[in-house]
Amino acid sequence: MIKHIFKLIWNKKSKNALMILEIALSFFVLFAGLTYMLFNIEKLNEPMGFETDDKWMIDLDNLHDLDSSQIIKVIDNLERSLLEKEEIENVSFTQYMAPFSGSSSSSQSEEMGFNMWSLFVSCDVGLSDALEMEIKNGRWFEKSDLDAGIEPVVVNSKFIDEYFSGKPMVDSLIQFHRDYKIIGVVEAYKYQGQFEENHPTLFRLKPKYECKDYVILDMKEDTGLNFEEELSSIVSSNINKEGSTILQLSKRRFETGRDKWLLLGSMIFICGFLCLNVALGLFGVLWFNIHKRKSEIGLRQALGAHTSDISKQFISEVLILTLIALGIGVFFAIQIPILKITEFESRFFYKATWIACLAILGLVFICALFPSMQAAKITPANSLQED
Amino acid sequence: MIELDKVSKVYTTKTIETTALNDISLNVAKGEFLSIMGPSGCGKSTLLNIMGLLDAPSNGQVKIDGQNISNYLGKPMAKFRNEKLGFIFQSFHLIADLSVIDNVEVPLLYRKISGKERKEMASRALDAVGLSNRKKHFPSQLSGGQKQRVAIARAIVGEPKIILADEPTGNLDSVMGDEVLDILKYLNEKEDTTIVMVTHDERMASKTDRLIRLYDGSQVA
Repeated sequence: MIKHIFKLIWNKKSKNALMILEIALSFFVLFAGLTYMLFNIEKLNEPMGFETDDKWMIDLDNLHDLDSSQIIKVIDNLERSLLEKEEIENVSFTQYMAPFSGSSSSSQSEEMGFNMWSLFVSCDVGLSDALEMEIKNGRWFEKSDLDAGIEPVVVNSKFIDEYFSGKPMVDSLIQFHRDYKIIGVVEAYKYQGQFEENHPTLFRLKPKYECKDYVILDMKEDTGLNFEEELSSIVSSNINKEGSTILQLSKRRFETGRDKWLLLGSMIFICGFLCLNVALGLFGVLWFNIHKRKSEIGLRQALGAHTSDISKQFISEVLILTLIALGIGVFFAIQIPILKITEFESRFFYKATWIACLAILGLVFICALFPSMQAAKITPANSLQED
Repeated sequence: MIELDKVSKVYTTKTIETTALNDISLNVAKGEFLSIMGPSGCGKSTLLNIMGLLDAPSNGQVKIDGQNISNYLGKPMAKFRNEKLGFIFQSFHLIADLSVIDNVEVPLLYRKISGKERKEMASRALDAVGLSNRKKHFPSQLSGGQKQRVAIARAIVGEPKIILADEPTGNLDSVMGDEVLDILKYLNEKEDTTIVMVTHDERMASKTDRLIRLYDGSQVA
């Protein structure tokens, strides 16, 4: 019977070409949308490595005009004033790679016999507490680390996975333009936002006077926004200038992710709308085909086909057409990971291919089911008489 | 071979009841060639459809080859049609997208027969109607007479005991009509196939073993 159905499809190839094209194109759009969604959903599910609720940040842009002795004085005073407030639990000073800052600093080296690339974050000892960073192995910096002979560093787990996979690296030495000793591993530091990649990252400890770009504040739970005004006056009185920016990290997290959320939502809408259109299109085409082939259906029943044979034939025809279309679609789709056309990892494409294939097959099956059942209800006496 | 006992058929709509057949009792013997005549709308095709299990009687009993088929439904009915009956229609009802041999094979698709055996049986049936040189052609490439011969090959490919022909020469000129009737006569005489044929043509009917006439759903002769 399958051979017979193939013959029917082949002999109507020009009529079927449009349907095959429609299904193949739908597969492509679904495949592209799913790849993008899978990539971003994975990013969304990966931990950021730090908390954003009840975390505030002050941009100390105005300090850059001061000389080093003034900076020491201002930072000491500012820290003291901030910690005096009961709303503030922890304070940390950091250089420009603060959460959602948009700045970055990276370097690469081949001193260890392979290419290493990493982001470099300079911070004080308080960053881990202020951001509630998760320590996976080892420990975070202590004040005494500033005086260590070999500079201690903390890296993220991506750094270990990428360059020293499976090795216990805590207390190990690495060469990255100079010697460093890894003292701890943090889970992640996706400082650009929840949808960003967790790049290999290396944290260097600096005295707080060198970390004069941002102050990160760990606030008591549910501190009201009206405290912002008081905070602003504390900052102004300490640095003798107006206009420092105060940011809520939870708000920044939402703002930096908003575009991605909108894009993801649009993708879901487009894919859903496409599926609906394909379903309606297929439903219409099948309905029309069955109406056109009424006498054939009656004839087959007269010649010994059971109603289930009729349903099976029509469903098989549509599923075979779909498989042909998906075969064409998959052939072109897998060229993307094979030829490494984009930066997305191959696994996202393969997963999207499977899901898109199953979704289209399921959709086609559902759309074929009802018209095929209607086809089976056609009585031979009427349909043969009508022709 | 075919026994009809007080068979009636009434079509009911919301507003009207139409009696298509009224108490028809009829016996068709094994190997008989029966023709049915009557004016349009007298119930000839309905009677043929009931004999062919394409329609169910409203009342009465139908026996074919000794089996009461009035209550046949579903798969047994499909199997019975496939194995015992062959159909020929006035408008041929060939599937346009299939070649001649594939059209002839269609009844065999619903039996558990290998592809190779199907091909052999279809080739034999086409030989029998003199169309072995047209196997790869499509219906659109054939004349009316050739199309009807393909339809006859399709009807006989499963070696049925009964052939039901609904105006098989209705769309053909007299020469082609004679050719088709000659094939039917041959099947009846040489293969002992029982044939029931609906026709409007007195000349064709006169060549059969027996003729019955219907008028307004009742048998009048």
